[in-house]
Order: sequence, then structure tokens, then C-alpha cells
Amino acid sequence: MTKSTDPKEEIVEHLPAMRAFAMSLTHNSATADDLVQDAIVKAWGNLDKFQPGTNLRAWLFTILRNTYYSLYRKRRREVEDPDGTMAGQMSEKPEHDGHLAMTDFRQAFAKLTDEQREVLVLVGAEGFSYEDAAEMCGCAVGTIKSRTNRARKRLAELMQIDDDDELEMTDAATMAVVQGTSSA
Amino acid sequence: MEQQIDDNLRRVYADTANEPLPERFTQLLDRLRDQEQDKSDKSSEDDA
Repeated sequence: MTKSTDPKEEIVEHLPAMRAFAMSLTHNSATADDLVQDAIVKAWGNLDKFQPGTNLRAWLFTILRNTYYSLYRKRRREVEDPDGTMAGQMSEKPEHDGHLAMTDFRQAFAKLTDEQREVLVLVGAEGFSYEDAAEMCGCAVGTIKSRTNRARKRLAELMQIDDDDELEMTDAATMAVVQGTSSA
Repeated sequence: MEQQIDDNLRRVYADTANEPLPERFTQLLDRLRDQEQDKSDKSSEDDA
């Protein structure tokens, strides 16, 4: 991917992806950036343990997820505000042109468990192999496969439910969503 | 459906991944590098 051999120089290239991964775990951009910062400091202090020539991004992602599970998971329950931070990003006109509305997608995604979101990002968005994802998550390849399938299925179910809701939505309700106000 | 899910997943993911990197991270890396420089300066002084 890159010719650079010094992982210290390379870290910066992986930060945007680390932020995206952190965002998918925490659903809060401030918390996500704190998580990334903690992970960078931890990675920097452990760079002597990184095997040159192996996948630096996978290594950084592993540190980030371990940091999340050891420090942030509990905290998330206290500060979690999925609708607050997500709502700001969701003030876009829902699409009905054959695409699934991103609003529905984000809401459904937020309802998945940590493990389900994690595996979908690693395998679905980042394109890591099941083997790499298994190593990063410290579990068996079969577990990753079945977790991925369950997560996709659950996501599809959640969006199906949202789709049904939408059929009964009035234009006023749609406008409320577009304007970022709660229709609840 | 699976294709649509992955497409959406990548879009949501890319939204964040394509954001400009906040300055705090480049500053953090600079700080870590400086600390290391200080350390290695000290150890080379010790060697001398």
C-alpha cells in the first residue's frame, strides 16, 4: 500500500479510517476523537511490538477496539446520545429513489450491538478478510462469519421495519425528519 | 439486500473517513515525536 517503512510516519494515513471506526463504535464524534487519541498514544508506546511488514491498519484497529472495550464501553452508556449527535448528521432529505434512506440506515445501524457494528465495519466497510477480522477481535473465524451474517440480517430486518413505518408516514412527518426535528 | 447494506455501510463510513483530519491529531503526533526526540537526546548525552 505504501513504501514507507517507518510505522510512525504511516500512522497519520490511517487516522481518518480510525476516526470512522471509532465513530461507528461510539456514535459521538467527541467521544470518537478521544478514543482515537487514546489509541494513538497507546500504539505509539507499543510500536516496538508491531511486526514490520504486517498490516499496520489492522494493528491500529485492534488497539482502538481494545481501548474501546476496556475504557469506553461503560462510559458510553452514561454519555450516549445517539439521537443527539446522529440527528445533526441526519438532516438530509431522505432518499426514495431506490436507495435505502441513509437516515433509516444510520438509525438501524445504531440499534445493532457493539459486536455487530464492529464486524460490519471491519468486514463490510473496510473489507478486511474474515481471518484478519477474527484475529483483530480475538475470536474464531467461524464466529466472525456467523456474526457478520447475523448483523446483516438484523440490519435488514430493522430497515424493513422502518420501511413499513414509512409507508404510513405523512408528508408532515417526512418534513419533520428533513428539518431535523423529532417526529416522535 | 446484502449489496445495499454494504453500499450504505461504506457510504456512512466514508462520510467520516473523508472528513479533514482535526488538527489535534497532527499536533498529538508532533508532540509524541518531540517527546521521543527529547528522550533520545538525553540518552545520547548519557552515552557521551
